[in-house]
Amino acid sequence: MINHIVFIFIFLLGFYAILVKKSLIKMVIGLNIMEGAIFYWFIAITDRGGIIPIVQSTQVAFNLNDPIPQALILTGIVIGASTSAFLLTLIIELNKFTDSTNPDQLGGIIED
Amino acid sequence: MNNILIYLVIVPLATAFLIPFVDIFSNKARKILVGFSALLEFSIGIYIIISNYGEITEHTFFLKYYLGNWIPPIGITLSMDMLSLFFSTLISVSLLFIITYSIGFIGHHEGKYYVLLFLIWAAMHGIILTGDIFNLDVFLELMLITSAPLVAFKRNRNGTEAAIKYMFFGAIGGLFIFIGVILVYFNLGTLNFADIAQSFSLLPLFSKKMIIIFFLIGIFIKLGIFPFHFWLSKAHSACPSSISALLSGVIVKVYIYVFIRLFFNVFGFDILRETGLDIIIIVIALTSSILGHVLALSENDIKRMLAYSTVANLGIIVAVLTLNTKLAILAGLLHVMAHLLMKVSLFTATGYLLQFTPSHKLQDLKGVAYKNIILFAGFTLTAAGMIGLPPMIGFASKWHILQAFLDRSFHWGSIIVILGTIIAFFYYIKYIIYGFKTISIGPPERFRLILSVFYRERVVTNIAILFAIAVVVVGVFFKLSYGPIEGAANAVMNPSIYIESILGG
Amino acid sequence: MSRLKHISIVIILAFLGLIMLLDLNKIPNQFEYANSIYHHITNNAVGETGSLNFVTAILYDYRAYDSMGESTIIFGAVSGIVLLLSRKTLPVSSHGLSFIVKRTYGMLTPFIFLFSVYIIAHGHLSPGGGFQGGVILGAISIIFSIVYGSEFDYKRYTPTTKTLLETSGALLFIGIGLIGIIYSGSFLSNLNILNSEPGSLLSAGSIPFINLGIGFKIGAGLAIIFYSMIQKTFKEEASL
Repeated sequence: MINHIVFIFIFLLGFYAILVKKSLIKMVIGLNIMEGAIFYWFIAITDRGGIIPIVQSTQVAFNLNDPIPQALILTGIVIGASTSAFLLTLIIELNKFTDSTNPDQLGGIIED
Repeated sequence: MNNILIYLVIVPLATAFLIPFVDIFSNKARKILVGFSALLEFSIGIYIIISNYGEITEHTFFLKYYLGNWIPPIGITLSMDMLSLFFSTLISVSLLFIITYSIGFIGHHEGKYYVLLFLIWAAMHGIILTGDIFNLDVFLELMLITSAPLVAFKRNRNGTEAAIKYMFFGAIGGLFIFIGVILVYFNLGTLNFADIAQSFSLLPLFSKKMIIIFFLIGIFIKLGIFPFHFWLSKAHSACPSSISALLSGVIVKVYIYVFIRLFFNVFGFDILRETGLDIIIIVIALTSSILGHVLALSENDIKRMLAYSTVANLGIIVAVLTLNTKLAILAGLLHVMAHLLMKVSLFTATGYLLQFTPSHKLQDLKGVAYKNIILFAGFTLTAAGMIGLPPMIGFASKWHILQAFLDRSFHWGSIIVILGTIIAFFYYIKYIIYGFKTISIGPPERFRLILSVFYRERVVTNIAILFAIAVVVVGVFFKLSYGPIEGAANAVMNPSIYIESILGG
Repeated sequence: MSRLKHISIVIILAFLGLIMLLDLNKIPNQFEYANSIYHHITNNAVGETGSLNFVTAILYDYRAYDSMGESTIIFGAVSGIVLLLSRKTLPVSSHGLSFIVKRTYGMLTPFIFLFSVYIIAHGHLSPGGGFQGGVILGAISIIFSIVYGSEFDYKRYTPTTKTLLETSGALLFIGIGLIGIIYSGSFLSNLNILNSEPGSLLSAGSIPFINLGIGFKIGAGLAIIFYSMIQKTFKEEASL
């Protein structure tokens, strides 16, 4: 329950930033907040209350936490980092033409 | 186990990694590498068809590949059935010719351009071959992130704005798909397509509904279906014409493939019918279609008009596929092929014609037909196909779509198809008439070149004419393509074949 | 007007959140999946891959194909950024910090490098791996530009060198995958060469080598992204 509440709150906070903020860089930050919310949520809901999935020796351990979500999130983090790096590059390019990072100059992100 | 499948992904990927390496030493070696790899990738596809010809004609074709020898559901599985084969062939053929077109069309920053083009090729084959839902997400993001730089390839203000929009909406769509993947893993504990398909119907209804809705929103954002159509026209028109052809003709078809694979084979169509979502999808898609046609009519810019026409056609394809009868899926897949051929043809021809005009505006296209009359005739024929006139492939597919709508007695759909055809007639005929208009006033210097150089004019015109010929020839002999498309439709309609082929030995 | 817009957006989002919460709450906590891959991996991963770190075992063995796609995403992003921001101007901005900082950082650099290599090489034994170690490698290059001035790193390790490092890392990954086809008939299968008992440095088959390739690739890629992005600032300062 609390996991879902925190996830939805942070996720919508990021979405709010994308909808409202008047700076493209802040919108990229909003996108990252949304991603962070998803990563947190994935780890939280698949928590089994076990130990970290790294063992000390070859003996079979029991009650490990699920390693698959962690591997998937590592992939997700890299994807998110590349996405924001490229978006920031595009914003640098746009700033070269217009000297501003206001999203309204895109003709409104919704219209056009 | 057949190793040939993995080479479909590895060859373009390795080429993309090798190009910067080769580029340091010599420009010429890079050109040879690009041409050689494109041919190699194309011939791998042909080899698959030839070596399995008997199975393809009997519609029992199925190849699978366990990466790292991990049997499903533990590792990642690649598979190729008739549906994947159909899409893979379309992609390989169109990309081979788009790369050839690019050799004549793109004259600067070629190194990075081909790197990104080959990465897109690898990503598309990755999406089409994969049998794993998270792997699908990874390759979707790869395709997004490699196509966005090409949208901004012209490095002007318009292109950069378009790329920002494309990237933002693509990334948000990707997040929704990622949430869907998480819900699938949380509920089922597996990521393999066949494994999901086997146990998906056992889930409680609200879990199924949530998963479906998240995937649906994600795919519709990426496809540009109605509430999310606004970014598509700008992104598809701001780039060089070769990239417009790629985005508008090929990449959206890959999203259509994802839609078909997920909602017909993995999640099963029953869940859409149970929740009543199929009617909603059809209504949304038909709205998208009519809206695309109206926006195209109101547009004064030739490339944006073509991009809005893509919105309209995607709406029709999604609507007709969601009818879920055998005829409907056959019609949908036929229109996928038809729209791919015609859009690539129109964009390649437009790319040539726009070299002679100061801008993309309708008024500037005056008299452009006389620059290359054969090519413009091809443009006219393809536009007629887009409208749906008989000898062209567009007629065949539209005829089947109409029949599919009437078959399910879904009259609104057929009315919208006919209405769309009428509107399309008006916006295409406008450009054709302007193209044939002679200039009464003004000296011939009116046609000042924007790009001062044509890198290889003959390659560009030949490819454009070739696609126009393909539109007509495939239109006349479209019955020959019935066999494979029927096999693909069979694969769509019978998800149990897919599940058994992957999990059963 | 603007305030009204804000309030309506907040209300819509709150409403959306409430719907999502009600729906998410209905999902039962199903930890005991019927045919879960969790049980297979936690029971057999050490024996099958030789890696003590289960996350690394998944990333570079069970789902190595995903990691290949993922490192390709970084490669694609780097290619796109270089395509958009490629300029011929030589970056000249700051000349670095004071003498004390330069000396101290000079002494620290080998240890930071060692740390990153340690993290890359021990990816299958402890937390870490190619991605994490690669980020530290990239950070070395970034700190160089802050401490010694932006010219220093740019001249010593030109973009060409970095591109070579990056592509060779990627090609190493694909090469190991292709050797897998020859060796055991499947792309990216774990090579059981150079293998000793799990827990030692050269164990877990091809996992350490893939880690090494990815580490150099990520490090070089991040450095390329950083230097492409700051190039613009140099040009602006030169024009002032």
